[in-house]
Amino acid sequence: MTSTQTTRPWRHAAGLLTLLAALLAPGAQAGSTLDAVRSRGQLICGVSTGLPGFAATDANGKWQGLDVDICRAVAAAVLGDADKVRYAPLSGSNRFSALQAGEIDLLSHTTTITLARDAAMGLHMTGISYYDAQGFLVPVKSRLRSARQLKDKTVCVQQNSTTVRNLNEYSRLYKLNIKVLLFDQLEAANAAYFAGKCDAFTNDMSQLAVVRTTYAAKPDDHVVLPDVIAKEPLGPMVKRGDEDWTTIVRWVLYGLIEAEEQGITQANVDRLRSSPEPAIQRIAGTGEDLGKMLGLDREWLARAIRATGNYGEIFDRNLGAKSPIGVPRGLNHLWNRGGLHYALPVR
Amino acid sequence: MTRTSPRRELRRTMRACASLLALWVVLALASSVRAQATADSVRARGHLLCGVNTTMQGFSAMDGQGRWAGLDVDVCRAIAAAVLGDAEKVHYVPLSASERFASLKAGTIDVLSRNVTITLERDASLGLQMTAIAYYDGQGFMVPLKSRIRSARQLKDKTVCLQQGSSTIRNVRDYSRTHKLNIRPMVFDQLEDVIAAYFAGNCDALTNETSQIAALRAQFAKTPADHIILPELIAKGPMGPMVRRGDEHWTSLVRWVLYGLIEAEELGITQANIDQFRNSPDPSVQRVVGTGEDAGKLMGLDREWQARAIRATGNYGEIFERNLGPRSVLGLPRGMNHLWNKGGLHYAPPVR
Repeated sequence: MTSTQTTRPWRHAAGLLTLLAALLAPGAQAGSTLDAVRSRGQLICGVSTGLPGFAATDANGKWQGLDVDICRAVAAAVLGDADKVRYAPLSGSNRFSALQAGEIDLLSHTTTITLARDAAMGLHMTGISYYDAQGFLVPVKSRLRSARQLKDKTVCVQQNSTTVRNLNEYSRLYKLNIKVLLFDQLEAANAAYFAGKCDAFTNDMSQLAVVRTTYAAKPDDHVVLPDVIAKEPLGPMVKRGDEDWTTIVRWVLYGLIEAEEQGITQANVDRLRSSPEPAIQRIAGTGEDLGKMLGLDREWLARAIRATGNYGEIFDRNLGAKSPIGVPRGLNHLWNRGGLHYALPVR
Repeated sequence: MTRTSPRRELRRTMRACASLLALWVVLALASSVRAQATADSVRARGHLLCGVNTTMQGFSAMDGQGRWAGLDVDVCRAIAAAVLGDAEKVHYVPLSASERFASLKAGTIDVLSRNVTITLERDASLGLQMTAIAYYDGQGFMVPLKSRIRSARQLKDKTVCLQQGSSTIRNVRDYSRTHKLNIRPMVFDQLEDVIAAYFAGNCDALTNETSQIAALRAQFAKTPADHIILPELIAKGPMGPMVRRGDEHWTSLVRWVLYGLIEAEELGITQANIDQFRNSPDPSVQRVVGTGEDAGKLMGLDREWQARAIRATGNYGEIFERNLGPRSVLGLPRGMNHLWNKGGLHYAPPVR
């Protein structure tokens, strides 16, 4: 009797405490993406369906590209292993809904950062991984040499993109009456262009270079027009509601850029552990512990660099001089070499 | 005894639970308010609470008429114009370096626009968030005008005065090595000694953060115009407005007000000509002046948000020129603070 009298109210109290814990839980959401990635043992990364240089599978079925390397660097920093990534290939139209629904942890998908995407879709930008701009690819024999000559021409373009909106605005502004041929998949738009179904193909300059070198029967039969009709800064995006995660992704990206500025590479990162320079120590994982501030360990950035190399190495391997695509570094150089990449201080 | 003790325990536990519950309710309410509504509370209050520097010429300082002026102040004015429709509706809260972050965290201010250098630590571990970069500061050089040196690349074999500090000298050494300049650093413990040595002609150049050099020149040079600040930065000190975590809507809003001012400059839209642009057929211009696609709606603002900000402060270039540029007291070169397509770093992602 006495025992039930004492234990029953206690059970009530315990129940109330459980309820309280449950009520408090939603408030303690910070870090939940990181926790989910860790308990899953895998980062789920939304990428393009197949765009050489940014995200495409190689002959061995391995994903390669600049967007892929960002996923790998994040996985290396967070999970300790760059291979622990599950890639979710997404079309232009389902990429944002996949991120909104929480099906992916990170969207690394040649996505142009715009006000609408950062401010009004329940998503957030992190940083800029590639400064691109929109242009046109045309057959050499068309004799088109400027975008202003596209009057009454048909242009192939991927739908649900900033690209198609820029094209329409450009056409209206210069009264070009461009006929727009829309495709959901990038591959289909490419194929239509090479099949002669349109007079020009429009996309970001980097992608035009990829398309020309990868898909043209004879690359020299096609030329990228010199006109640029819009800025297209590309970068990884995350879902809102977890600023810890936003910050992690942002600083992994800045870390790769800062590593290039400090001359830290995949090859020398281990040797530089003994550097006396505090700025290098912080990156190599032997100095001031910045990982702790991100909820990570001291070696977060060193692991990312070991896995992918610094930003310059990632660029060269996937798109630049060491790739078949051969995009010039241009705006994607570091800030002190004539480009725009500028890591905020990693300290 | 055996009956009352567990009861008392129980009462105590229930009381603890009740107070925990009350605490939770308060916290939940506070966090749900915080989750959206910085913009709402700014509107309800009728003014923006803006944390600024107590006095930093060119960034935030009171002028002769008791009016706040400066680049950091203009960022606040632009936000107030966008959100409240009136750039004057700002309450400035002057903050010391030691209280600035705590004040933002505590909610005493809505935005911290106080020459804050954005770093990983500040973005990641203080419960705050960066928005965007308002001013690319960093280590640079000042030389006498008569030296005819106009670029840091011309400092070959020159002597540079600097204050002791691990990164300052390292940055000079790195820059010297990279560009094969053989710069000779002359190191002093105290800033006053650096200034004295430079103005006495004991060294060919002085190095420090350029915003600080400009302030020193204004204060200590007999004739400030006899000294120039070179356009190059050899190390990074990016400054930008910061906000509290927990309201990503507000983070975006502050970020895009700043980007909007930068975009306006790129499009050539100024305080003076903005109304003439209302008839422009260019959709990019229409979005900025408020006659085209409504980007304001996406942030809970109206169509004219950017136009009002530009009317109040001018575009980014105008803000720079008025507060920091060659005709201002500080006389800073535009340098890395030019637009991306004019050799600088300011680059607004598409404001659409």
